Amino acid sequence: MRAEVSNDPNRLPAGLLALLVHLLFFAALFFSFNWQMKPPQGMVVEIWDTLPLNDEPQPAPPVPEVREPIVKPKVEATPSLPPKAEIALRDTKKMAKEDRLKPEKTKAQLKAEKQAEQAERRMEELEKQAEARQQAQRKAQEQAAIVMGKVVDEYIGKIAAKIRRNIVNPPGVVKTIRAEFSVTLLPSGEVLNVALAKSSGNDVYDSAVERAILKSQPLPLPPAEQNMFSRFRDLRLKFSPAEIGQ
Amino acid sequence: METSQSMSLLPLITNASLPVQLVMGLLLLASLLSWWFIFLKMFAIRQAREQTDAFEEAFWGNPDLARLYRDFLDERENAGSLERIFAAGYAEYVKLRKKGDMDNSAVMDGARRAMRATYQREMDDLESHLPFLATVGSVSPYVGLLGTVWGIMNAFRGLANVGQATLAHVAPGIAEALVATAMGLFAAIPAVVAYNRYAAETTRLSSRFESFMEEFSNVLQRQP
Repeated sequence: MRAEVSNDPNRLPAGLLALLVHLLFFAALFFSFNWQMKPPQGMVVEIWDTLPLNDEPQPAPPVPEVREPIVKPKVEATPSLPPKAEIALRDTKKMAKEDRLKPEKTKAQLKAEKQAEQAERRMEELEKQAEARQQAQRKAQEQAAIVMGKVVDEYIGKIAAKIRRNIVNPPGVVKTIRAEFSVTLLPSGEVLNVALAKSSGNDVYDSAVERAILKSQPLPLPPAEQNMFSRFRDLRLKFSPAEIGQ
Repeated sequence: METSQSMSLLPLITNASLPVQLVMGLLLLASLLSWWFIFLKMFAIRQAREQTDAFEEAFWGNPDLARLYRDFLDERENAGSLERIFAAGYAEYVKLRKKGDMDNSAVMDGARRAMRATYQREMDDLESHLPFLATVGSVSPYVGLLGTVWGIMNAFRGLANVGQATLAHVAPGIAEALVATAMGLFAAIPAVVAYNRYAAETTRLSSRFESFMEEFSNVLQRQP
């Protein structure tokens, strides 16, 4: 008479109920997770939108490249279609001169009109396609710019961190001052030139930062195959005694 | 890892390291089993309570013990715990009385012993699986914590190879690891609640059985 699990008549409904509880729980968890994940994504998008602004001078050159494909379809379209229309028109003129049969004239005219219309339509389609292509390319460029912006930010952060580590704060320096340096780099990461762009007001701190910049050579740069050195050639770095080397 | 990682539930589980996944599997099993026992016990205890109510009503409304015993023999399969205790006591009493040469106190002792033995068996049945619920309730948070600690250890070890440490390097690993704790708590909370509830209910049933045994002994003693 033992109520062993194997003999219990309720074991199947109990098992089904247990499964149901778990399914409900996981469904709830799944939906709540999806709901929770949306706000962070939105924030990511906002951050990305701001980044390309800094890069706009750079993406600008490629835009003309994008326009080329638009011009090409036009060039293709113009030789293929309008000549036909001209020929047709000539035909109609000839027809009008040679034969004064009205229906034939109209037929020829209609043909010409149709052809002209078709040509216009094709042109429109081509323009639309070109626009779509342009937009797609723009998007791709923006994304590339975003990625690039991220990499650039990352390496500028690394450079600043490396320099900061080498700064020896002079004793009794005011923590809130801020020195700005414009640094010219070589592709190897060595410093070609350091210029004080904006003094902190404390000459000792300025020279300490300058020494730190020179001491931090070679500065970390992205790998050469990324072709991003142009973004690092002239850097403008700000330093403050408050941010002691990490 | 670098770019925005879409964090939904499934990748959190599938991307976790093997020990963490093992822990999660174990906890899922524990949770499934404990919920199964929760429902089994729920049905069993509810049935026991209803049968006890029904038998007490029948017993106090009907002074003919022999007929109650015959009813029990007719429907042995549907008999509840209390009915079985009664039957054991009554059968022993009748057997000893038939021998004839025993004094009343010896007969009463025999009947009481028979009832106590059946009572122990019935309580054992009612309390079955409750230790499992208690174990799940107390151990699964620790098992989940183990998985989490392991996952976080891995996440931080991955951090050692990165020059500039950002939160983005550790966050996914920690999120994966925390799933283990969540599962441990998910398994533990219902198990603890159910254990406390069922333990209280079986205690109440057992005190009802005991008082019935005393009362039934008195009834037997009064028998001519």
